[in-house]
Amino acid sequence: MINLQPYENPMYFGYLLIGLLPIIIGMLYEKRFRWYETLFSFCFLVLIFDGPKLGQGIALIGYTIFEVLLTWGYVRYRTRPKGANKTSIFVLAVILSIAPLVVVKFTPLFDPQHPSIFGFLGISYLTFKVVGMIMETRDGMIKEFNILKFLQFLLFFPTISSGPIDRYRRFIKDYDRVPTKEKYLELLEKGVHYVMIGFLYKFILGYFFGTLLLPNIEKIALINGHSNVLGLSWSLVGVMYAYSMYLFFDFAGYSLFAVGISYIMGIQTPINFNKPFASWNIKEFWNRWHMTLSFWFRDYIYMRFVFFMIKHKVLKSRIAIANLGYVVLFLIMGIWHGETWYYIVYGLFHATVMILTDAWLRFKKKHPDLLPSNRFTKVMSVVLTFHVVCFSFLIFSGFLDKLWFGFR
Amino acid sequence: MKRRRRLWQIFGPLIVAAVAITMIMVLPISFKQANSKTVEKAATSLSANVLKGESLKDQAMSSSGNYVPFIGSSELSRMDPFHPSILAKKYHRDYQPLLLGAPGTQSLTHFFSVNGMSASLRNKKAVVIISPQWFVRKGVQPNMFSFYYSPLQTTTFLEHAKNNAMDRYAAKRLLQMPSGTSDSIIHQALLQVAVGLPLTNFQKFYIQDIKGNALKTQDDVFSRLFLKDRERYIQKGLKHLPSKYNFTELDDLAGQLGAGETGSNPFEVKDSFYSRRIEPLEPKLKGSQRHFNYQYGPEYSDFQLLLNKFSQLHMDVLFVIPPVNYRWAEYTGLPQKTLRNFDRKITYQLRSQGFNNIDDMTNDDKEDYFMQDTIHLGWRGWLDLDQEVKPFLETTKAAPQNYQIKQHFYTKAWQKTPAKAVPNMVKTAD
Repeated sequence: MINLQPYENPMYFGYLLIGLLPIIIGMLYEKRFRWYETLFSFCFLVLIFDGPKLGQGIALIGYTIFEVLLTWGYVRYRTRPKGANKTSIFVLAVILSIAPLVVVKFTPLFDPQHPSIFGFLGISYLTFKVVGMIMETRDGMIKEFNILKFLQFLLFFPTISSGPIDRYRRFIKDYDRVPTKEKYLELLEKGVHYVMIGFLYKFILGYFFGTLLLPNIEKIALINGHSNVLGLSWSLVGVMYAYSMYLFFDFAGYSLFAVGISYIMGIQTPINFNKPFASWNIKEFWNRWHMTLSFWFRDYIYMRFVFFMIKHKVLKSRIAIANLGYVVLFLIMGIWHGETWYYIVYGLFHATVMILTDAWLRFKKKHPDLLPSNRFTKVMSVVLTFHVVCFSFLIFSGFLDKLWFGFR
Repeated sequence: MKRRRRLWQIFGPLIVAAVAITMIMVLPISFKQANSKTVEKAATSLSANVLKGESLKDQAMSSSGNYVPFIGSSELSRMDPFHPSILAKKYHRDYQPLLLGAPGTQSLTHFFSVNGMSASLRNKKAVVIISPQWFVRKGVQPNMFSFYYSPLQTTTFLEHAKNNAMDRYAAKRLLQMPSGTSDSIIHQALLQVAVGLPLTNFQKFYIQDIKGNALKTQDDVFSRLFLKDRERYIQKGLKHLPSKYNFTELDDLAGQLGAGETGSNPFEVKDSFYSRRIEPLEPKLKGSQRHFNYQYGPEYSDFQLLLNKFSQLHMDVLFVIPPVNYRWAEYTGLPQKTLRNFDRKITYQLRSQGFNNIDDMTNDDKEDYFMQDTIHLGWRGWLDLDQEVKPFLETTKAAPQNYQIKQHFYTKAWQKTPAKAVPNMVKTAD
């Protein structure tokens, strides 16, 4: 039995190319073979979730049935002629939709040895999509439920394992349409280009930093830091850079594969990274790093939270509301990564930097003559942001846990 | 046609690249042999790609350079002036060591490596330095094994695998490592060899013509590119040595050099090693080896693979059992019994099958400047080894040997046998 993990080895890309050929040829003649696309996606889902991953496959089926019923139910409720829109029902729907993810994410707290039997590769990303749909149904943006389209959206296999997180209405717009020949050639060119850059990122640069460099620097840092306060040594700075580079190239490479393959299938899945290390402050960074995730958190957690606070007048100060919003957002993001101290500290660290950045921007607005805006200050802000981010990734990497508590 | 041109613009470069790569990798093109300078560099580089490859080793063994494999692990990198490679060069010996091993290489890695060199090793001699530290209860660590795992040597193994105890056991061991299951066709082939079944035609085709070919080409092209150059150490060593070989004079020099580099600590461990590896942890290491035991585990059967292979290739092999630095063993609490037990059991495994060429240094553990650090030979130790190596390698062709390989050494029962249960064949006045 062949089992393939998405974008892991040359075989996967080989099968992918064979499977994509009919789609490419069809699109060049301005035709979408929808039954073939469905069959092709289904085959790949089977390849990802068969053999040793069969348990995950069954969990995926169960999860999908549950979320289909839930979303169908909520859309039906919202589109009743009388226009029912109770907050309690909405909250209940959201809680139910994230319940499987919460169970899976919190299982390791109680039983670190065994992952939850409800878990499967990509459960987080599917949940993000469903929650997004429920929110948009609440807002009245989604007015009908088509099970086939819903499944196409939810189980779109190029992005199933780790995003990018698409939005339902955007996805369906692409799915319903067949691009013109010229437009498709453009998409095809971009798609192939993205996949190739992805190879460079994930299999050359990511491999170099993550597999060749990082373990060696980590070893040196463990030895060098041993007799120092907090295990500090210059090698630790090396670990920070190497891990940051690895994290970026590995994930950006993966994201490029997912976006590239989507483009070849005529779906313009949103990009996930836009030169994040060229950001001049942390707010800009989050607009460029793992973009679909940070936009999801912004739209569906931060904004909702802020509106709620303003509407119910819980706090008067807008600044306090915004700051609290950051804490909520990044704390949830930290916990979502896993219930370890370093993910949570990573979240709180980013919340703090966001709050300080806002304060600094307000301060600068009041004192416009304080700092000149020239090439030097711009470069300095990019360098400073880069280092703040890299430091946060050092926390995120868990290496400090190994360094401080590993020997005991 | 506009569409066709656009498509060519998009896919043309990809197709050209793919065709070129396939041509280079899959077609059996033979590449220019590495020149003798590269082979010489490879012989002392200790780089993983030399060990994992086949091309450079085969070239060395079939060249006129009279290379002799020195198979071991981390001690091979202790290149002071008395290192075998440097002595051989300085005194214009008729052989040159081909160093095979690195920190973490153990019997299983060496078996696949030697197996890959089969054709060029027949009727030759070799030196094997056995580390007692390999023989921990769990055997080689899977991730260490993975680091030196050679897909090429695995395809060679599978191509020639037969239904015999050696090949079945080797396949079984490989299946216990993550490396053995990384390719599904190789995985399946190993499962078959492990139970004594032949490969299917498709498996043979894939392993020999597709994967084997591609890996051979990669080995030809890439192995020679990333060699660590140790010429610096060799040149430095050569300068220290007097032009005439005189044991007493050299032994004095070795003692002096050793004394000059070990002043910082009571263990007679090289200063740089002490300050980097011991000093930061010193208090923690006191008594830390009290419970070490080297007399059980799969390493004994893994080692049997090597013996079996040597016998099959009619090789004459000098086995070296290095001591453990006595001062260090005292400090860490490593019991003398642990080392004696290991010595007794491994000596029985060797001698009872006719491998009688053993340089047992276990009792040299109190000698000054014999070890470069805790467990690795240095200065006087290397020179002492040379007293065996020099006469052994007067000729590099093996005389006919009379080995009696016993299947029993592949069993769990042997892995679990305590040393005291076997006859003591250790010769004290060796």
